[in-house]
Parts: sequence; C-alpha cells; structure tokens
Amino acid sequence: MSILEYNGVGMVAMVGKECVAIAADRRLGIQAQTISTDFQKIFRMNDKLYVGLPGLATDVLSVSAQLRYHLNLFQLKENRDMKPKAFMNMVCIELYKNRFGPYFVEPVVAGLDPKTNEPFIAGMDLIGCPMEADDFIVGGTCTEQLYGMCESLWKPDMEPDDLFETISQALLNAVDRDALSGWGCVVHVIEKDKVTTRTLKARMD
Amino acid sequence: MARRYDTRTTIFSPEGRLYQVEYAMEAIGHAGTCLGMLASDGVLLAAERKNINKLLDDVIFSEKIYKLDENIACSVAGITSDANVLTSYLRETAQKFRLRYKECIPCEQLVMDLCDIKQMYTQFGGMRPFGVSVLYMGWDPHYGFQLYQSDPSGNYGGWKATCIGSNHAAAVSMLKQEYQETPNLKEALALSVKILYKTLDSTKLNSEKVEIATLTREGSGDKAKTLLRVLTAKEVDDLIADYLRQVEEKKQEKERLEKEKAAAAAAAAKSS
Repeated sequence: MSILEYNGVGMVAMVGKECVAIAADRRLGIQAQTISTDFQKIFRMNDKLYVGLPGLATDVLSVSAQLRYHLNLFQLKENRDMKPKAFMNMVCIELYKNRFGPYFVEPVVAGLDPKTNEPFIAGMDLIGCPMEADDFIVGGTCTEQLYGMCESLWKPDMEPDDLFETISQALLNAVDRDALSGWGCVVHVIEKDKVTTRTLKARMD
Repeated sequence: MARRYDTRTTIFSPEGRLYQVEYAMEAIGHAGTCLGMLASDGVLLAAERKNINKLLDDVIFSEKIYKLDENIACSVAGITSDANVLTSYLRETAQKFRLRYKECIPCEQLVMDLCDIKQMYTQFGGMRPFGVSVLYMGWDPHYGFQLYQSDPSGNYGGWKATCIGSNHAAAVSMLKQEYQETPNLKEALALSVKILYKTLDSTKLNSEKVEIATLTREGSGDKAKTLLRVLTAKEVDDLIADYLRQVEEKKQEKERLEKEKAAAAAAAAKSS
C-alpha cells in the first residue's frame, strides 16, 4: 500500500462567490485501525489563509510547523499578510527542497487575497508541482470519489451558505465510500470578514 | 596611549578595558533615546524618532520598535543597519524555538542568545562589535512581564525601568527618583512622557518625535493573548497634552501658594 495511504484522509477545497471553503475528515488511522477521530489536518495560517495537509500524519505535523515558521518570519519582516498565491509558491519550493526524500503530504491551499479578497485555491503533489483551479481541489485517499462528487455538485458563484452545503455533501458522501477516511468532518468557510468553522455529524465508521 | 590598544577589538588595554566596545557605546550615546518601563499590567517602550525629515516616506509599522514574536518586541538605539541585522537574527531565533518546542520563546532566552552572539564579536574574528543597544519588552508564562537591556559588549540585565541612547544618564537618574513602586500602565505612560519631555533635545515634544508601544495581556486562561500595540499619533498627543496640563496646574498652584504666603506675610507685618 502506498505510504500516502497509510493514515487515510479526505480533503476538498471549493471556490464560491467572494468566499472559499476547505473541508477535511477527522480520522487518524494506522492502516485499517482507527486511532483518533479528532486529528487536525487543516491549519490556519492567517485570518484569510488556510492550508490542508493530506498524507502521512507525521509529515502533516512537521510540514505545518515548518510552514508556520516561514510564514511568521515573512509576516514579521514584511509587516503584512502573505498572499495565498505567494504562500502556495513557498510551499512548492519547500517541498521541492526534499525532492529525493520528500514529505509525504500533498497540500491544499485555500484563501482570499488579503487586499482584494479574491478567492484562491490550489493543490500540489508531494514534490511541489502546483495546480491552481477556479472550481475545486481535492486531496487524500478518496480523490476519485471526491472528483465525482465535486464535478456533479459544484457550480460557480455560490453564496457562503450554499457553498457550505455543497462542500459538506461532497466530502461526506465521498468519505463514506472510502474505508480509510471519515469518522467526522470539519469545514471552514472563509469570507472576507469572518471564518465559520463547523463540525459535521457523519457516519462514525 | 589608548591608540595602541584600540584598533583591534580582541585585545585588552593595560588598564583592562576593551576600547572598541567602549567606542561602540559612545556611538550609541549619539543615537535617539529609548526608554523602557515595566508596569504591573504591561510593559512599554518609548523611542525618539530622530529622522523626521519631511522628504522621508511614510513609516509602515514603526521606525524604532520591532516585533520579534507574538510575545516579545524590542527597540534599538545605535547604528540602524547593525540593528536590522540583529533584529533579523532575533526573529529567526524566536521562530526556530517555536518550530522546535511549539511554544513561544521565553524572553530571557532570546536575550541571552543574542548577547552570546554580540560577545563573540568582542572576542573572535577581528570584526568590530555591533553598535547597537537593545531594549526588549516581553511576556512569558515563566516570569510574566519583563524588560531587558543589552549592549555591544554582550552584557544584559533585567530592569524595572531604563533608558538608552542620547541623554540616557539623565533619564536614568530621573527614573531612579520618580519610579517608586510598580505603576500600572497608565501611570507608567504618564511617567515616561514626563521623563522624555525633560531629556529630549528638542524643545517641544509631539507625536511626530516620539513613538510609544505597549505590550499587554488580554483575555484569561487558555484564551489569553499577548497584545503589542503602537500608540496612535493622537494617543501620544493626548498623553503629552495631559502632562503639559499637569505642569501648568502645578505652576498655577505654586503661584497661588506664593501669593497667599506673601499676603499672609504682609498681613502679619501690618498687624505687628
């Protein structure tokens, strides 16, 4: 089995009208055995920028701490928030630095531009090949299911509440078809003046 | 006589002095004043802005006050380019600690780390010391609110109130008399304005010439956060206005008492 499927995760980010949403399941497993149902996989970088890290759990912890290190230094020096696109580039560079001994995470970036509030989502592979999208980005062990769900449910210019419903349904139904992900979901909806975080009631299996 | 022993940083003079280090402190004595004060509910740093040229572009956060991490900020006096190098180093050190231990660096550790670097420049390499003194203000869960000062020799100390830069000796001696028991932040702000007014070279103090930053704790328990704030120009002007008003009131009170005394003396003279 692939090392990226060792711990199990389902993650999705979607673009709405002047908002973005990012959601992930909460399971931490060791192959078939479920260890925890409240494992954090989405990390707040600043008020309008979240990064989700699907992949090997130990690398999720390490990479999130490293990204925080780089982001803090940037924000102290420049005295401003980092743009999502610049953050994505930084993650790509950091991952590529370990080209021949990579971190086993395939990050998903979701945020709003700090000045213009333009929505931005992007994903990348474990060695930092970026992919920007204007609809949705998926990651984890149930990407095939998520692609199917998102392709059918997503439509452009959804309001935050509508976006929340859509992303929740996409994630919940996709993880239900995957043995390694599920056991609860967390959704962050990022708008220009607030972030709403909700935990979903899901099938606990 | 001193000339023979001062061209290299790494040698002592016959009297046991390190001249380069002392010359560095001389350089700082010409720089803008920096005052730090510890209060019961916070710490403050007040710095004199020397570069008030009209042609200078707007300052972003602050000219002399640097945020180092969530819980620590510092103010510098001396050669600005040296200070920039040191603050970059301080910021990196704080973040490296955060990466390793997942908590904020304790204030004293950060100060110690930088002072060890500063000391290296007085003993190895043949490079000149950093011409910068730094005042640090911070909060950590071990010792609460703290104020530190470090100088080019690599020495540091924890202070209740101190001053660096030009006229610092006058300011420190004033502080010795005026700073009694630990004030609260409001009282500390008023006191620092008073001290700055008396020690700054310029005749009139206004918000253009001085910037003040405070570090406080908000919230309680798990949700408590450290807040670093640079006072707005209006707030500084208000503090200065309060101080001037107090001075005026004291003056008038004094005049009134003297008049009463004179009147009493005249009445006594008349009756006798």
